[in-house]
Order: sequence, then C-alpha cells, then structure tokens
Amino acid sequence: MTQPSQQTVKSPPMTAPLEGVPLPDLERVPDYEQGFWEGTRQGELRIQRCTDCGLFRHLPTPMCPECSSLACEWARVSGRGFVYSYVIVRHPVHPAIREKEQTPYNICVIELAEQEGLRICSNVLHVAPEDITIDMPVQVAFIATVDEPDITLPVFLPVSGS
Amino acid sequence: MANAIIPADTNGIRDRAAIVGIGETEFSWDSGRSELQLASEAIKAACDDAGIAPQDIDGLIRYDMESNHETLLTQSLGIRNLRHWESVSYGGGAGNAVVGHAAAAIAAGYANYVVCFRAANLRSGIRLGRARGPERIAGGADSFAVPWGNMAPAHRFGMFVRRYMHRYGATSRHFGWVAVTLREHASRNPRALRREPITIDDHQNSRMVVDPLHVLDFCQENDGAAAIVVTTAERARELRHSGTPTLIEAAAQGSGPRNDGIIYRPDLAVAESEHTARDLWARARLSAADMDAMMFYDHFTPFCLINLETYGFVPPGEAKDFVEGGDNIRFDGALPVNTHGGNHSEAYIHGLTHVQEAVRLIRGTSTAQPPHKTINRVLSCSSVAQLSGAVIIRRG
Repeated sequence: MTQPSQQTVKSPPMTAPLEGVPLPDLERVPDYEQGFWEGTRQGELRIQRCTDCGLFRHLPTPMCPECSSLACEWARVSGRGFVYSYVIVRHPVHPAIREKEQTPYNICVIELAEQEGLRICSNVLHVAPEDITIDMPVQVAFIATVDEPDITLPVFLPVSGS
Repeated sequence: MANAIIPADTNGIRDRAAIVGIGETEFSWDSGRSELQLASEAIKAACDDAGIAPQDIDGLIRYDMESNHETLLTQSLGIRNLRHWESVSYGGGAGNAVVGHAAAAIAAGYANYVVCFRAANLRSGIRLGRARGPERIAGGADSFAVPWGNMAPAHRFGMFVRRYMHRYGATSRHFGWVAVTLREHASRNPRALRREPITIDDHQNSRMVVDPLHVLDFCQENDGAAAIVVTTAERARELRHSGTPTLIEAAAQGSGPRNDGIIYRPDLAVAESEHTARDLWARARLSAADMDAMMFYDHFTPFCLINLETYGFVPPGEAKDFVEGGDNIRFDGALPVNTHGGNHSEAYIHGLTHVQEAVRLIRGTSTAQPPHKTINRVLSCSSVAQLSGAVIIRRG
C-alpha cells in the first residue's frame, strides 16, 4: 500500500551486515539468550520454545509468557518468513555508519513462518530499498561479522517466485 | 484463561488533587548551564506561579532519566523535609504518568505540595537520537536490534508507523498536516523554539531521515526544564489561581503485552495506549467526546493519528481523514491539539509541557487559546508504542 516508489534511480541494496556497530558480548549475554547465538554460529536459526506448551518466543526470556513454564529448548526453525515491517535508514546516527558511508540501509521486522506474531529484527540483503515491501517472502542466511568472529548474524534474502 | 484483563475502573484520585503552578526555563539548543540549575529555575517559576515557596515542597516526582536526584534538589531548593519521592520509569514513557503519580500521592496524604519536573540538556548534553558508542552489548532487546542497525527511537517507531500506514492507508502527507498545524501553533508561542510556519510542501520536501519519517516528523532535541506543582483541591482554593482551579480528574498508565523492543508487540499497528485509554475512560466515566482539547505526546507526528484513534476521538483508521488539511486539529478547530506547538515545535521536555498547556487552556492563557469554546476538560495523553500515560485535567 505504501509502495511502489516513483523513483527511477534506486538506492543500492545491502550486500552484507553493517560494519562497526555494537555487537553482543557473549561473556555478558545472559544464559537464557546464549542459545540464539550458538545457533547462528552453527548456521541455524534457533528460537526459544516452551517444552511444556510448545510456544515459540522471541525476545528470549526465562519464563513462558503463556503457560509460565520455566522449561524451554532452542528449537531450529525453517528460516522462512515474510517482511512484517521495515524502515530505510538514510541518516546515520552511529559514527561507524557515518564514517563507512553505510547508508541507506534497511531494518526489517521478519515474521517467521512457524508461528503468528513470532518476529525477529534483521536486514534483507540484495534488494534495493525501494523494492522492499510488507509481506515480501524471505529466507534466512548467515554471515559472520567482520568485527567479532564469535558473532554470526542471521540476515534474510528474498525468495523468488513465491 | 490466564490472560483476561481484570477491569481497573476505580478512581481513587478523582478531583482530590489540583495543579496550582506551572513554570519553565527558556528552551534552547544550548542552555549553557547545569541541569540542576535548570531544574531549580523551573521549579522556582512553578512555585511562584502557585504562590508558594520552594521550601513548602514536600514531595518530588521525577522521570527516572532525570539526573537531578532528590538529595540534590532537597539541598538546592531548601526543602525542610521531603516526605514523598518517586521516579517514574523512562522519558516519554513517564509523560503524564508523573502527574498521575503526584495526584495519587496527594490523595493518599503522603505530601502537601508535590512537584513534578523534568530538566535536561537533551541537545547540548547527551542526545537521545544518537546511537551509543562502540561498546559491546550485554544482552537484552538491544542485542537483538543494534547489530542490524536498529539503534535509534526513529528506527523502532518507524517500523510501527510503517505497519500503521500499511493497515490504514495513511500517508506521509497526513503526518505533514500534523507538522504544519503544530508549527502554526508554535508560531504564536514566544516560548517555542521553532516558530517559522511551514507548508505541506515544506514537509513533503524535507529530508527523509528514516523512511517513512521525514525530518519534519521528528520532535526536537533541546535543552530546558519544566515543572508543575500539585496540591490538594482544598489548598488550591487558598492559592493564587483559585479563580481558575485545575483539577486532576483521572489518570492511567498502560503497557500492553510484549512491549520490550517495541517490534514484538502482538499487532504492531495498534498502540499499547488502547489499554491506557480503556482504563482512563473507565475510571473517569467519560469518553473522548467529553474532552475539549487533546495534548498528545508528539515524539513523531504520526502519533497524533494514533492517539486520536486509541483514545477514541475517531474510529480506527479514520484519523488520517480527521487531520487532513489541519482544520480539525487547529486551535480554532473541532478538537484543538497541542496548542503550544508540542515536542515538535515548542520544546521537547518529555511531555511535561503538554500538561502545562492543558492548564493554560483551562486558565484561558494559551497563546493559541481556542476562540470558539470554553475549555473545561483536556486530555493529555501519550502513545509511545511501548508504554503510555494519560491524565484528564478539568476546570474545578
């Protein structure tokens, strides 16, 4: 509804995660979040799931918000989803984004296929900002950050023909 | 059914407390002085307006982002004995809520004169719109956002706004009419930082900062302080503004579920303020139709539309038509909105100026005083898409 853009010259797509931005410090990340980063390091998108009622949840928390169970597991998900919402950042607010001229870039909220309302924040790569749309189907990919070898970020790629 | 929301319709503060003084410093981009200096000046001005001495204050309610803690102010203001103090969480999230807390403290008898205040060098000091430095993140919502560049309020709120636009067909032009109207109000207000009138084309041609938000959709970042004095309705009758008493009729706060990080909320196009509004109206036994004006927390212009809808002035999806052209929300329109110019054009003091303006409207001293009607009740509300507060101020 907010697309298509009238612009004839499109901005370049993102091809990699941002460089120089703050990343999680796994030494200090709480126990109930570690599974996410262990998963991405192994090339898997793992989402916390209640082992009592089966509800997925993100952000990670110690307790199931639905059934109050404290038992959970890190379940691998398909990595399929769609763009639920997005912004195109054209003004840099972080020095590394300014200095490395990393604008424009997109921030997307991806709703994962496994459960309605199950969302994570990410970037969609290899699509011009003007071509990103709500409901665009996407698939996860993994890229190790250049800044911290122990952090691998899930990013998303458009799924063609679906 | 664990998740049913139990109604909250008891109004223990109804008309028990009154706002008897408002005061502020000048607003600027560089105050050139400390935040304690700003707080002291604004509180002194509010006490002068009330006709009390700063030493009479025995209650303080601050925002928890506030650097001026209670001991500093007790010392600076010469307070004999502080009987009650609170900090209300966050910045905008505490807007209006501080006043509700003050009314509760007064109704409970915890203090006689409670001051709510906010003092900050939000431009010359630490700017909220700037991202943090290069340090690594110790977990939490930021660690699932910042690595992908989601690091400023406009990023999170922009994703809310995009979803709202998608749902209801609102466009940037609708937000532009809010900007034009707020600036028109500010053009009449000598306190306002931005007084140069703008057109809808100015808005549409302004720099795109975080698509879908233009720079003219953003509130300002500025220095300054504001304060209000709250006391009992009985004491208010003895004070300077006894001729135009302004009572706190009802207040509410709300979070809704899953609000950490904003983007995980169940339906991102519907603000958490639906919860705040439900409780507010139930407690007040009133509705939007009873309000003569609306002061809304304008961190970003689209939230005018969102407040209009969640607080029930118009049905969901119809605010875009209501704000079109600006006539309805202008000071001389059907529902005067942010007659001071708001965070957008007057100054950004985390929403306390909105409550001050509600008081001015009831006193008849706004610089954009509606000429066509007496203002008896004002809703000062927020819809931050995460946490919100609202308060109804009425003529006593």
